[in-house]
Formats: sequence, C-alpha cells, structure tokens
Amino acid sequence: MNSLSKPSAVARLTLWAYCLYLILPLYWLLTMALRSNQDILGSFTWWPTSFTLVNFAEVFTNPVWRDGLINSLTYVVLNTGISILVAVPAAYVFSRFRFLGDKQLFFWLLTNRMAPPAVFLLPFFQLYSAVGLFDTPLAVALAHCLFTVPLAVWILEGFMASVPKEIDEMAALDGHSFGVFFFRIFLPLNRAAIGVTLFFCFMFSWVELLLARTLTASAAKPIAVVMTRTISASGVDWGLLAAAGVVTLIPGIVVVWFVRKHLVRGFAMGRV
Amino acid sequence: MQANQNRAWLGVLPVVLIVAFSGVIPLMTVVNFSVQDVLDVNTRFFVGFDWYREILRDQRLLDALGRQLLFSATVLAIEIPLGIAVARAMPREPKGRGWGAAALLVLLALPLLVPWNVVGTIWQVYARPDIGLLGHGINALGIHYNFSQVSSHAWITLILMDVWHWPSLIALLAFSGLTSIPNQHYQAAELDGASRWQVFRFVEMPRLRSVLIIGVLLRLMDSLMIYTEPFVLTGGGPGTSTTLLSQYLATMAVGQFDVGPAAAFSVLYFLLILLLCWLFYTAVVKRDLEQDFARQGERAAHE
Amino acid sequence: MAKVALENLGFRYPGASSDTLVDLSLSITDGAAHALLGGSGTGKTTLLNLFSGLLTPTSGAVLFDGVDVSRVRGRERQVAQVFQFPVLYEGLSVLENLAFPLRTRGWKPDAARQRARQVAKRLDIEALASSQASSLSLFEKQLLAIGKALVRPDLALVLLDEPLTAVEPRVKWQLRTLLREVQKEEGTTMLYVTHDQTEALTFADQVSLMQNGRLIQTGTPAELHDLPDHEYVGHFIGSPGMNLVPVEVRDNRLICAGVDVGDCEQANGTNYRIGFRDSWATLSVQEDPTGLPASVQSVRLLGTQLGEPQGHCRLRLGSTEIHLLTTTQVEPGQAVQVAIPRYLLFQDGKRVATYAG
Repeated sequence: MNSLSKPSAVARLTLWAYCLYLILPLYWLLTMALRSNQDILGSFTWWPTSFTLVNFAEVFTNPVWRDGLINSLTYVVLNTGISILVAVPAAYVFSRFRFLGDKQLFFWLLTNRMAPPAVFLLPFFQLYSAVGLFDTPLAVALAHCLFTVPLAVWILEGFMASVPKEIDEMAALDGHSFGVFFFRIFLPLNRAAIGVTLFFCFMFSWVELLLARTLTASAAKPIAVVMTRTISASGVDWGLLAAAGVVTLIPGIVVVWFVRKHLVRGFAMGRV
Repeated sequence: MQANQNRAWLGVLPVVLIVAFSGVIPLMTVVNFSVQDVLDVNTRFFVGFDWYREILRDQRLLDALGRQLLFSATVLAIEIPLGIAVARAMPREPKGRGWGAAALLVLLALPLLVPWNVVGTIWQVYARPDIGLLGHGINALGIHYNFSQVSSHAWITLILMDVWHWPSLIALLAFSGLTSIPNQHYQAAELDGASRWQVFRFVEMPRLRSVLIIGVLLRLMDSLMIYTEPFVLTGGGPGTSTTLLSQYLATMAVGQFDVGPAAAFSVLYFLLILLLCWLFYTAVVKRDLEQDFARQGERAAHE
Repeated sequence: MAKVALENLGFRYPGASSDTLVDLSLSITDGAAHALLGGSGTGKTTLLNLFSGLLTPTSGAVLFDGVDVSRVRGRERQVAQVFQFPVLYEGLSVLENLAFPLRTRGWKPDAARQRARQVAKRLDIEALASSQASSLSLFEKQLLAIGKALVRPDLALVLLDEPLTAVEPRVKWQLRTLLREVQKEEGTTMLYVTHDQTEALTFADQVSLMQNGRLIQTGTPAELHDLPDHEYVGHFIGSPGMNLVPVEVRDNRLICAGVDVGDCEQANGTNYRIGFRDSWATLSVQEDPTGLPASVQSVRLLGTQLGEPQGHCRLRLGSTEIHLLTTTQVEPGQAVQVAIPRYLLFQDGKRVATYAG
C-alpha cells in the first residue's frame, strides 16, 4: 500500500540475484543427476543435452540406497516424536510455574545447544556401545535430542508464555480435569507452535551427519552416509551422487511446503 | 506451593533425563578423559591439566582456531546484512502472497533443509573446474580457479557455500519480524517525510532486534561448530588451509585416537562457544537494560 | 494551515464490485476543527487515507487551498496523522521524536530542538524530554504522537483517526480538552474521525455524518442534533435517538395515531414520519382531546429539575415506542396524553418541514 513498505528497485534486484544464486547450484545438481557419468566426464555442456533416469533408478532400486533413506527417515521421525513428547510438558512447566532453580535449568538446557557435535564423537560411541544401542536408528535419534530438545523447549515456552494464564484458571473453574484442559484446550491453542517446533526438530535431525555417521556402522546407515561412502569406492560416480543428493532434497521440500503458512507467523509469535 | 513445585519438577523430569543421557554423561566422560592418560581399558593415570597445557601449545590447533574465528566473523558479516536485505525485499502484503510468494518462501527455506554433507556435495559438483558450472564458468572467463589446489580459492568457495546455506535463516527470521510491523508505522513515516534508510533505522531495526539476537546467536554457535560441509567440499585442504576447529578435533579424536588431548580440546572448544555467545548476549542485552535503567532513573529524578 | 475541500470525490478499491466512497463534497474552513462521524465500515478510514495520500481518488479531487493534491505523494502534502494506537519511533527519545518531522524537512538541529521543546512544554511532557519513547505509558505515548503531528507549523491539515480509542476512559476528556485548546491556539485545521458521537459533538466546530460511503449531513453539533436532514441523522445523533412516529397527511391535516395534530402543506400520503427529541414533547395525566393517547412502559428517575423530580419515560404510542423527559409522576401501565408542540416532518426519510410551537 505504502511506497515505504514496498521494496525498492535495488532491493528487488538483490532478491532476484540472491534467488538465482540459490537456484544455480541446485539446477546444476539436477542436470548432473539426469546425465550418465561417462557423459558428465566426457564433455562439458551448460545444459543437459541427453537425459537418462539411470541414476534415479539405481537410487530407488538398489537396497543400500533405499535402506539408507528409510534409516534416515526412521531416526528423524523418532527424534521429532521424542523431542515433542518431552518438550511439551517441560515448556508448559517453564511457562506456568516458578520453582527452585527454574531459570538455571532453562539456561543449562540452552547451553546444550551450544555444544559442538565433534566434542561428542568419542563419548557417544562408547556410551551407545555400552548400552547396546550402537548402529540403531534410536541411537541417532537420542543423540540428536541433545540439540533438538533444548530448541523445542525454547520455542514452545515462548509460545506458551504468550497464552494467558487465565485460560488455565477458567478451565479449572469450569470443572475440567487437568488432562482434559491440557489436551482439549491448551494444546490446540498452541498448534502453530507445535508445527514450528516439528519443523525445527525435523530440520536439525535431517541435516546432521557427523553424529549419525559415528553412531552407525551398517544396519542403520543413513542415506547421507551411504553417499559419502560411495565416493571413495572406485572413483566418483558423479551422476549417481547427484541423483542421491536430489532425493535427499525431497523430504525438505515436502515439509516446508506444508508448514509454509505457519512458518512466518510462528517465527513472529514465538521466541524463534 | 510445595505441591506445585513437585508437579513442576515432574513436568521437566523427562527433559532433564534425556538431556542428561545424551549430554551430561558424555560430557562428563570427556572431562574425565581430559585429565587422564588412558593406556588401555584397565590402566589409567591421572595427569591433571597436562593435556590442557599440551594442546594450548599445539601450533596446529592455534592455527585452526585463527581460521575458525576468521571464518565465523566473515560469514556472519556477510550473512546477517544479506539476510536482512533479502527479508526487506520480500513481498509483504497479503495480496502479494500468492503462488509466487509461496514458491519464494520454499526456495529460501530449502538450503536449510539440505543434509549438510549434501550441501558439500552440491558445491563440489558446482565448483569443480572440470565438471562444475561455477568452476568451469570462471575458468572460461580466463580466470584460473581451482578450489582443491589453491588455498585462497578454497577459502572463497567455502565462504560462498556458507553464504548459500545460511542467510535464509536470518531472512526468514527478519521477514517474520517485518510482517509484524503495522502498516501505520510506514504511513506515519511517509507523512513525516522519512527516507527509506530512516525507516529501516528507526522503524524496522527496533522491531527486528529480538529476532535478530536469536538469529545471530544461532549463526554464531553453528558457524563455530561447522564440520560436515567443509569436510566434504575441501577435506580441510589444500594442506590444512581450510581445517577448522571441529575438523581438527575429529582428526585428533578419531584419526589419531589421541583421547586425552582431544578431550581437553573438546572441553575448551565447548567453553569457547559458551563464552562467545555469552559475550555477545551480554554486550547487546545488558547494554539495553542499563540504558533502560538509566532512563528510568532520570525520569524518577524529574518526578 | 489551509482550507481543505473535497469535490465530488469517489473511490473504489481495485477489483471491488462497488464504490466505497460516492460523490463526496465537503469544505473545511481554514483553522477549523472538523469531525467525521460514522459507524464502522462507512468509509471513514478510506476517506482519511485519501486525505493523507495513501490512496488516490477514482474520481473527483482533494483540494488544499484550492490546489488539487489528489495525485501528490503523502510526504509532500503537508499532512500529519495521529492513529488509534500511538505510532512513534520507539527507539528515539521524546525530543528526538518531536524533532523528527522537522529534521527530515531540512530544519537545522537547533531550530528543530527549540520547536520540539516548545511543543513538549505545551503538552506538558517536557519532563520526559530525554526519555526513550518505548518507556512511556500508553497515555504519554499518545500525547507524544499528538505532539509529533502538531510540531510542523507549516501543515495544511492534521488527521486524527480515533485518537482516544487506546486511552483510558479516565483521561480521555483531559486529552480531548488539551487537543482542542492547542487546536484553537495554533489555528490548526483538524479532521477528527470517530464513531463516538460524544467525542465528535464536543470536539468539533462542524461535524459530518457518514453512511454507506456517503456524507449525509454536515453542520454544527447543534444543527445535527436539532435539525437533522434525514431520519438516520436524527436517530444516530443523541442519546436516546430522535423519536420517530408514523403520520398521515390528509387534506392539509396531519393525522397521528388517529388524532389531528395540526396543519400541513404537504401532499396527501402515508409515507411520513414526525421526529422529536425527548425534551420537545410534554406528558399529562389529565384528559386532553388534542393530546395523543399513550401508555407508560417504564420510568427511570434521572434527578431533579428545578426542585422537581425529573424522569425518563418509555411510552408506547400506537405501534411505536417513544422516549420522553418529564417531571410529571407516572407509573408503568398508566394511560397518558402526549403533546408534541415542536417536531420535524420527514417524507421518505428526508426532512420536509419544521414546526416549532
């Protein structure tokens, strides 16, 4: 409406240039995925001249790739589920009660988000081997909780704190039990918050590789690790690598498409 | 009140347990390693702060630290302003949020959802001089470019990759901050004759402060932890020219199996990130609080 | 300051199927306080945005001192606006906020600061001069927003969009009085938009009433109250609204509820109603052949008038309900006679005649 809230020509140009900068590597990945390895190494072309779906066929039919994809999705879903399950009651408590050590506890939770994954390489290997979880999706899911749980508590607490306490009291006056209030009234009010939290848990668990690689050997190997191990086998099959890369983009696109409406609103309302 | 406290602790217990399991126990193990010399499973010596002294004299570690700080400072200096600029250029009105705007949002969020090793792969495929669009393109212009042989080229590629990967986070945060500014503020600024710059400085920035603090904190800690993307793209090379802290730590811990020094390094590394985040936070937030107090005091004095 | 006018102004939002504003003409004298009154959705805010330059008219023109400014950008129009909620530069101090519109117009820092101090002093917020705007109370913030709108001496028009909405009821009158005083002192041309008739009628020299995107009457508060052009105006203004009773004109006589009320020069028909304020009619309990028969529905004691208790009476007259102020003591259910010495005659909603005694 107003000329001042409308982006200037320079700003628009920046945006277009930036979008192009984002798209070009993706475009290149896609063209690589659609060419055979001989074709890629044989001659350089700016756009693909011959198409082949061989690479994608390999990724989807070879059980190593397929299992990798399933493993990845398994620990991501496990992690997201665990994170939400433990973070929701904690965030509710932080947003509603003052108790001994609450601030310190909250701060301590956040410091876990600041721990570099590389620090945990060695102890994680030992710990999960000791409890017999090594090389299972659950091990990766639990390890990722180190980053996703503090973040989930942080985001949810921000949203829940903005829901007036009077709602709790009114529900109690109306004679609702705590369970009914919490699941029928309170949680639906925080739908957007849970959506945003899901997004962030998914995002950080899906993109992480270092811990996922350390905690798996063969049975639970995630797709991202399958990629790194194929490179060193016998030269690099660029076409196949690119096709696998394209496949790993798909879950991200699907998730962001579903939460796109909540994303901006959720960011604006909550802490993050 | 006592009952409340008990119930409160019950609510946070699962979180405490899970973070203790995945965070505290491993961290204690690391601390334990850092003060011991482990010869085999049954033979350990308490060595005090010897490992700490040793790694602080490790020139390769200090070099990696220098590179790490330079890298984090560079990418933050580029990504924060770029993210804000992108957010300001996005269509904000509801009617502008049609199909195109949704696609734009998805495109922006996409780099954030690419597995980190795939980010490395994408840029490797894109920047290689033989098969990459970027690498081949630059060489076709007559400029010699090879990121796997020339250190400065490796650095530039690393920065370009991070600038591809992360400004979206800042942009999305800033955009959500901008959409929460009521239109009246722009209208008032228009009638006041404010310039675009003044609108940015006096209307938008104050409203973006809290989201930007979060954005900068996240970027600060994540850039300090970066491992996978440079590992895939350059492997830390050529030589050690792009070896950052995490990678040096991984080499030490897994490659050479120097458990003691690696553990001591880990502890210091964690403390460094905590310290930098704390410094940033107090520098920004505390200064504001002090200003608020000063103003309140001034007001009280007037009354 | 300037004389502000609208000439056959029309506006339709792009893509809309009907006009939001239809053929508005209005003239506001230089230095006058003018109020724009109307319910929600009547087009007040759209009209305000046409004055401030946020929107451009589809037809007609906005004139400042006779010059068509319809296509001039907001920043060049010499207009300031106060919004429902305080719109300030939260990070700047009170003084910096006040000086802001002057500094952007090339005022020297010293001159701007001096003028800002002058305004701060007038609004009695001088003590807060160096406080950050975000640290003020809601009332102080709105006061500052008003100050920021008044700071430029070369303004053509100051627009106020329901400026007291966010302010506590307790201090509303205080802010309104202050605003009116400053308006008179500085000779500011002001357009005050509100849905609250008390605010409009107590603040402005002239009030325009809007309905469905049209200006239906402009006049002094007294004119709108006593001489509404339309039944709608009579009904909207005043609390309670004007009583409206259906009447018939038959052979130059006015017949109301079967009783001959008086002469009338209008053509025969039943599409007439008479309108009268609750204080214009009288009530008696005695038999009166010229009075209109009515029955008391409820009585509410208001206070005393010249030592006699005065009540507000709700009556049923024929098939309509009317309100009267009376000192006669009556009870619910009682049959009474109503005499209406002063009334207006409306034909199809429009005023066609006035009778006073």
